Amino acid sequence: MPVGALTSIGHRISGVVLAASVPLAVYLFGLSLRDARGFAQVVGVFGGFAFKAAAVLVVWALAHHMLGGARHMLSDFDVGSPLRAARRSAWLVNLAGLCVALLAAVLVW
Amino acid sequence: MKLSISRYDPERDKAPHLQDYDIELIATDHMLLDVLLRLKAQDSTLSFRKSCREGVCGSDAMNINGRNGLACITRTRDLREPVVIRPLPGFPIIRDLFVDMTQFFKQYRSITPYLVNDKPPPERERLQSPAERDKLNGAYECILCGCCSSQCPSYWWNPDKFVGPAGLIQAYRFIFDSRDRATERRLDDLDNDPYRLFRCRTIMNCAEVCPKGLEPVHAIERIRLKIAGVTEAAAGLDVHPPISPT
Amino acid sequence: MQRVSAVYLLLFVLFLLFSSWLRPIRTFAEWHAWVAGPGTSIAFVVFFAALLGHMWVGLRDVLLDYAKPASLRRSLLAAVALSLLGLGMWILRILFRIQG
Repeated sequence: MPVGALTSIGHRISGVVLAASVPLAVYLFGLSLRDARGFAQVVGVFGGFAFKAAAVLVVWALAHHMLGGARHMLSDFDVGSPLRAARRSAWLVNLAGLCVALLAAVLVW
Repeated sequence: MKLSISRYDPERDKAPHLQDYDIELIATDHMLLDVLLRLKAQDSTLSFRKSCREGVCGSDAMNINGRNGLACITRTRDLREPVVIRPLPGFPIIRDLFVDMTQFFKQYRSITPYLVNDKPPPERERLQSPAERDKLNGAYECILCGCCSSQCPSYWWNPDKFVGPAGLIQAYRFIFDSRDRATERRLDDLDNDPYRLFRCRTIMNCAEVCPKGLEPVHAIERIRLKIAGVTEAAAGLDVHPPISPT
Repeated sequence: MQRVSAVYLLLFVLFLLFSSWLRPIRTFAEWHAWVAGPGTSIAFVVFFAALLGHMWVGLRDVLLDYAKPASLRRSLLAAVALSLLGLGMWILRILFRIQG
């Protein structure tokens, strides 16, 4: 599969992952603002293993989606449009997304 | 050379299957088409399209080791073995490597692929400056081989609704031709429907596989910008050295 | 719409990351005060509006590509639209409530 195709499908998958995580995120947001106990509950939830794993996935999704999106917008303005340049930026996006996820995994543990 | 070629006889087979071949390469087997023709001499049931044998007619477009390309300009020495040859992905298979190009050409015809100018023709020709002519560079060279549309996931999901990179690069060729008078109509046709143009997600597989090095994805970008009313680029489209299957 | 919302979302996420790095929030009181502040609460409202708009364009794209036949597609699109509206109202309720 060409590298750009990987970036593109990753962009779509990360988008769907993020969209799916929004309702839960909104719930936690609301809970954390209700009162001190709610806040403590949210902080507590972030300690669980399953949650940390999911958080790393969401961080990857956010990073890949934002970087891929930035790449899209730059090409809207004709920056990095020709194929050679587009391939390089696709590599960068793919790699950077994974690096951020790795970093998040390290920080979380 | 070892090859695995997709075979399908609609009268006998339920589904396409790969058949292995092994053939001794000779000095004149420069391109994959040379090998295929010698294989056909041995097994006359092997079916594929071919014509010009020099990369300008687009007949022998096929999927070689996972990447679309023209067999007549794919060097044998670059190919990983066993060479897996499949028909163009996403298109209905008629037989072996023959695919049904009806839908593909329907999309092409749907973008009005001819100059529309109702003004009476001048004495000699409709004039166009060199700068205006340059805008067509990178689009007019399309040979309608189908490699691009056949490698485009958006086209796979909606071949009846999304025009596809080939159709759209041809649409570009007419939208940006200074002699054409139907520009508004062409743009409206692509703008009014969420599918015809806008299914393009800039995946860029089209530019990757075009055997002429064209970049339909950028033609599509330019059409989008023109629909949005943004000032357009002065030059033609980029063309890159084609990347053959390996 | 997708592009404009994307720019705002990107800036907001960077702003969040930056401010949480500069001034880490530890307690409920700090958190509540920060979110409810005049500038930040407006920024949050715009953020969620942009987020919902951005989500709508993206999910609609996915459905247009994969959901066939037309009637299934229309109902799924309607379902997504309603869910986003519901989310929007929920978010407004949360943000209003903290103003006390």
